[in-house]
Amino acid sequence: MANRSPSIRIGDDAPGYDLDCFSIPKNYAQDLEKVFIPHGLIMDRIERLARDVLQDMGGQHIVALCVLKGAYKFFSDLLNAMETLNRNSDQASPIMVDFIRVSSYCNDQSTGSVRVLGGADLSSLAGKNVLIVEDIVDTGRTMQALLPLVEQHGPRMVRVASLLVKRTPRSLGYTPDFSGFEIPDRYVVGYAFDYNDYFRDLSHVCTLRETARDKYALAVQKL
Amino acid sequence: MAGKKEEARDNGRGVVISNHWPGYDLDLFTYPQHYYEDLNYVLIPHGVIVDRIERLAKDIMNDIGYSDIMVLCVLKGGYKFCADLVEHLKNISRNSDTFISMKVDFIRLKSYQNDQSMGDMQIIGGDDLSQLAGKNVLIVEDVVGTGRTMKSLLDKIEKYKPNMIKVASLLVKRTPRNNSFRPDYTGFEIPDLFVVGYALDYNEYFRDLNHICVISEQGKAKYRV
Repeated sequence: MANRSPSIRIGDDAPGYDLDCFSIPKNYAQDLEKVFIPHGLIMDRIERLARDVLQDMGGQHIVALCVLKGAYKFFSDLLNAMETLNRNSDQASPIMVDFIRVSSYCNDQSTGSVRVLGGADLSSLAGKNVLIVEDIVDTGRTMQALLPLVEQHGPRMVRVASLLVKRTPRSLGYTPDFSGFEIPDRYVVGYAFDYNDYFRDLSHVCTLRETARDKYALAVQKL
Repeated sequence: MAGKKEEARDNGRGVVISNHWPGYDLDLFTYPQHYYEDLNYVLIPHGVIVDRIERLAKDIMNDIGYSDIMVLCVLKGGYKFCADLVEHLKNISRNSDTFISMKVDFIRLKSYQNDQSMGDMQIIGGDDLSQLAGKNVLIVEDVVGTGRTMKSLLDKIEKYKPNMIKVASLLVKRTPRNNSFRPDYTGFEIPDLFVVGYALDYNEYFRDLNHICVISEQGKAKYRV
């Protein structure tokens, strides 16, 4: 396992930013508490993650595996940053992409079981440097389910990059190789973190008010 | 029905790139070194692609931005176009008074091997597609060639009874085999060349190239399956 690169640690008492200091879609104004991580900061951090990833994994074919649907935005921005570095360097290797679907959240509870749904031809991972791109590591259950599946196909190396990592007592102890921000155990939305498909169009990562959870809640599905 | 427009802005053809267009020399741009000699020239630089998408987003919002949109991204080639398009749609939504709920889902179609269109097609992935019933669906595709894939996809999607289906394709190829399917929104109409880059691949290579380029014979041979 590679040395884990450092992460930006957001403390439990972090006050966040007032909504009025940023541009927020009007209709979300009553649902949000604070801006937690501004979009520009996310982008700056991604730029550095891209460099860290390439330094560790570059020089061999990389397959970037996007964990749908949550990681799509982060995946797109991270790949853009990696490709920009590749374009401007003397040594680069092709980066291929693939997409895999995993589901485990409903409302704001991790439902406890992880389903990996089909689509990707994982046999193409053999001998490659595989980068799993995830939006958030919470309990770590998703990675626990996904990693053995990926390892089965004989990749040369496997690394995981997650934009957010939650500090939570429910964590099974898994930490990704590359992580953008380490955050307290609060429910966040924005920058592709949704609450039942809402808030994906918010560009900053924000905290959600309690009242909003009822507003956008779905009945918890029995699996 | 999808494929028709009430009002032709630019004749619905998008930016038309003629058969005589020589493109740009690769040395005038940056591109990954590992593709050196695998490409002939740059057909459409990345910045132009993004600028054109910005306008497509505006056209789409003007047409269907009054109600919730279900975006169906056709993986894998459509992923960058979809990411940039959705980003622009969100920007417009954010800066306007009306809020449009946009959900994105991902489907995969199997139909290409090397550079020949195979003709048979299946939909893989996606949430339960019966959820499309009654919704305004926007299919986001990278390139329309013969139009066969799109027609086949539309037939399958129509069975789920959406309220409306619109198709946005970044590229439309001028090909004699084209069965006259026209997307509702077209980025660029291009000559019948095999193009790569901006998520369009040749056997999984070139997706990490940001400009749309024409592949060279050397590239085709090198990455042939």
